[in-house]
Amino acid sequence: MRVVAMIMAGGAGTRLTALSDNRAKPAVPFAGKFRIIDFTLSNCVNSGIFNVAILTQYKPHSLNEHIGIGKPWDLDRQHGGVHLLHPYQGKAQEDWYKGTANAIAQNIDYIRRTQADTVLILSGDHIYAMDYREMLDFHYQTQADLTLAVRNVPLEETDRFGIMTVDDAMQVRDFHEKPKDRDKGTLASMGVYIFKTDVLIERLLEDSPETPRIDFGSHVIPSMIPRDKVMAFLFDGYWVDVGTVQSYWETNLELTNPMPPLNLYNPDWVIHTRSQERPPVKIDPQGRVQQSLLSNGCVIRGTVEHSVLSPGVYVSPGAVVRDSIILNDTWIGPGATVDRTIIDTNVVVGGGAVIGYGDDNTANHHMPDKLNTGINVIGEECVIPMGTRLGRNVLISAGSAETDFPDSDIPSGETINPT
Amino acid sequence: MKTLALIMAGGANKNLSVLTQVRAEAALPFGGKFRIVDFALSNCSNSEIYSVGVLTQYMPRSLNDHIGVGKPWELDRTRGGVRLLQPYLGPGITGWEKGTADAVRRNMDYVDEQRADAVLILGGNHVYKMDHRTMLRYHQEVNADVTIGIRSVNPFETHRFGIVTTDANMRVLNFQEKPKRSRETVASMGIYVFKTDVLRRHLKKYPSHLDFGRDVLPAMIAQGKRVFAYKYEGYWANVGTLQAYWEANMALLAETPALDMYDPNWVIHTPSEEQPPVKVGANAHVENNLLSNGAIVDGVAEHSVLSSGVYIAEGATVRNSIIMHDCKIGAGTVIDRAIIDKNTIIGENAHIGFGDNLVPNKDIPDVLNTGLTVVGKSVHIPAGIKIGRNVVIEPHTSDKRFKNKEIPSGDTVR
Repeated sequence: MRVVAMIMAGGAGTRLTALSDNRAKPAVPFAGKFRIIDFTLSNCVNSGIFNVAILTQYKPHSLNEHIGIGKPWDLDRQHGGVHLLHPYQGKAQEDWYKGTANAIAQNIDYIRRTQADTVLILSGDHIYAMDYREMLDFHYQTQADLTLAVRNVPLEETDRFGIMTVDDAMQVRDFHEKPKDRDKGTLASMGVYIFKTDVLIERLLEDSPETPRIDFGSHVIPSMIPRDKVMAFLFDGYWVDVGTVQSYWETNLELTNPMPPLNLYNPDWVIHTRSQERPPVKIDPQGRVQQSLLSNGCVIRGTVEHSVLSPGVYVSPGAVVRDSIILNDTWIGPGATVDRTIIDTNVVVGGGAVIGYGDDNTANHHMPDKLNTGINVIGEECVIPMGTRLGRNVLISAGSAETDFPDSDIPSGETINPT
Repeated sequence: MKTLALIMAGGANKNLSVLTQVRAEAALPFGGKFRIVDFALSNCSNSEIYSVGVLTQYMPRSLNDHIGVGKPWELDRTRGGVRLLQPYLGPGITGWEKGTADAVRRNMDYVDEQRADAVLILGGNHVYKMDHRTMLRYHQEVNADVTIGIRSVNPFETHRFGIVTTDANMRVLNFQEKPKRSRETVASMGIYVFKTDVLRRHLKKYPSHLDFGRDVLPAMIAQGKRVFAYKYEGYWANVGTLQAYWEANMALLAETPALDMYDPNWVIHTPSEEQPPVKVGANAHVENNLLSNGAIVDGVAEHSVLSSGVYIAEGATVRNSIIMHDCKIGAGTVIDRAIIDKNTIIGENAHIGFGDNLVPNKDIPDVLNTGLTVVGKSVHIPAGIKIGRNVVIEPHTSDKRFKNKEIPSGDTVR
C-alpha cells in the first residue's frame, strides 16, 4: 500500500479578511507559534505518511518559506518527502487551478510518478489531530473506491456543510451540499478523502462541459455515489474550520483554558513547526499575565489577559492586551490597550492607542458578513498612530501607514484602505 | 586564513555538584532553553568558522544527543562541519585524556585532516558572545605563534584563573596558572589561537605537557615564542560554581541584561524544543521570569528561569530559582533560591529552601555554601517535606529516601 497525500493549500480564505491579504489561509499563524497547515502536515507524518504534495496557488510565498524543504516535519527525504505543486503553463490544459478536483487533475502526472495506489486528499486549513491510518485501514477493509471522513455536526448547522446519508454499513447513499432541509442526517464531510488512485484518475478524466469534474463536493463525489463504492468513515475527534474571523478568534483563545479539547502536549502526537530560534519568554518586573499563551521571543512589560501571543511580541510598560490575538513581532506601545482584536505580524501600535472600545457592534460596512462579532482585525505591517481609537468590527488592511488614518477616532464598522 | 575550532568539552567540574554528576558541563542547561555549549557553537558558526571539533570525555551522552549532526548551528556540512571526538584506543594510544593539551594531541590527526592554518581552542563551558574573527585577524596581524584571549576579572577571584602579564605591545611576559595571590587582574579566558604548525610541533616535542594553561603556554613564553594577548570586552558569564551559575541565570532577568539574546545578527542557536507556547493560567502570577515554550504556570513564579515542560500547579510558588526541563511542582509548594534539575517531581505543600540557616553543606562545604538548595535530576520529593539551605539532593533519589519530614540546612539526601 503506497499512499500519497495531497494537501489543498491554494485557497484565498477571504473570510479571514486582512489576515489573508498577503498569505494563503494555511499559512496563517495559529496558537502563537504554529501555522494552520502544521496540523495537517503533522497528521501526515505522525500517521507514517511521508509522501506529501502541497497544492498552492493564492499568495504562496509565506507558505513556501514556512515549508522550505520540509525538515521540521521530517519531510526532507530522498524518496518521497514534501513537494510544492504550483500551477504552471504547458502544452495541454495546464492553467490556474479552477477548483479542488481540477487542481488534482492538473497533477495526475505527479500522482502517477509516485506510483501510489492510494491518494489521500486533505485540506490545509483545518485544525485537528487525526491518525489517518485508521481511516486507511477502513478504506482497504471495505475495498472502497472512495472513503470520506465525516463527523457529526449540530442539526442547526447542517446547512453549512456537505451532508452524507449512509446505510448501516456506512456506505454513502446520498450527498447534499449545504441542504436547507433538516432531515438529511448530521454527518458532515470533513474534506478528507481517500481514493483508489486509478478510480480517482478515471473520474477526473471524465471532465467535460456536460460532466464537469472541477470540484470534489459539487461534481466528483455526487457522480461516484451511484456507481462506485463510496464509504463514510466517522471521526469523533476535535476538528475546527477556522475560516471565519470569529471561529479563528474563538479557537485560538479556547487554548488558554485549563483543559482545552485540542491537546498540544501529547508527546505521541507532536504538532511540528518551523522553530523561530527565539529566546524564552521574558516577563519583566512590571509584566502581568493571566490565562494566556506566550511564544518564545515575547517580552512582556505590561499586562496580558486571556490572549494568545506569537513569537517576538513586545508589550510595553502600561500596555494592556485583553481577549486578543497578537501575531509575530508586533510592538504594542506604552499605555496602549488592545481589546478583542486580532493583530497581524510586524504591526506597530502607537503609545496610548485604544484598540477596541465601546459597545457599538455595528458590522463592518465594507465586509458586513465577514466582520460582525465585535472583533477588530489589523493586517500585517500596519502602523497605528499614537492615541488612535478604534471601535469594534474595524478593519485595517495590511500595510496601512500612519498617514492613512483620517482621524484619531475610527468608529465601529470602519475600514482603513478597503481592498 | 582557514581556522579549525576545537571546543574542549571533556572535563568534569565538581564545583557544580549534582548538576555535572549526570552530564558534561557543556551540556548544562542555561537561560531556560539553551545549553552552555550553544554559546561556543553559535560563536563559531556566527564567526563563519564551520569546522568545529568537540572534544568530549566526561559523561558525553546528552551533549552528543544535543549536538547531533550540528544542524541548529549550520554545522551539518559535507566539508568540515561539527565532529564529536571521544577518546579512543589504538596502537600506542592508551588511557583517557589527561588534560586539554593531551586531548588535542590525541586528535592531531583530525587537526591535520582539516588543513587549517590556525587552531582556535575554546572552552565548551563558557557563556559568552564573541565574534572570533577580530581575534583571528589580530593574531595574523601581529604574526603571533599563539594569541591568548584575556579579560579583566574581579581582583578577589584571581586565584581561579590563569593570570597574564603583558608589555605595552600586548606581548605576553608571564602566565601564572591560578596564583594564590596576584596584583594583576587580567586573566586568560581559555581561548587560544595557535599557528597549526607551532601547536603540532610543540605537542609532539613535549609529550609530558598535558594542559595548555599549566604546561604549554608557560613553556612557549619561556622559549621566547611570539605569544600575544587579545583583550576581550564583551559579555562573559562565569558559570563554574553553583553561585556563579545561579547568578548568571538570574542576571538574564534584568530589564536590560548584559547578554542580549535578541540580536538578530548574533543568534544563539539551539535545537527547537518542539513544544507549545508558554501557558499562563487564569489565576497565575508571573513576575520577572524567563519562561520557555512548553512551560505551564498555574501558580506563582517570581524572578525565576523555567525550562520547557515545567509545570507549576496552582497554589505553588517558585521564587529566585532555576527549574529545568519537565519538572512538576505540586500545589502549595514553595521553592526559594533553588536549582532543580530535570524531570524532578515535587509533591504538594513542600518547602524547598526554607529558613535562614546558611551553614555550608557538610559534605561539600567549598562547593555549596551561599544558601542555594540544589536538587538533582529525576528526584521525587514527597509531599510536605521541608528542605533547608545548602542542601543537595542526589539525582534519582526516590520519595522513600526521605525518612524525615525536615531536611536541615547543610544536609545531603541520596
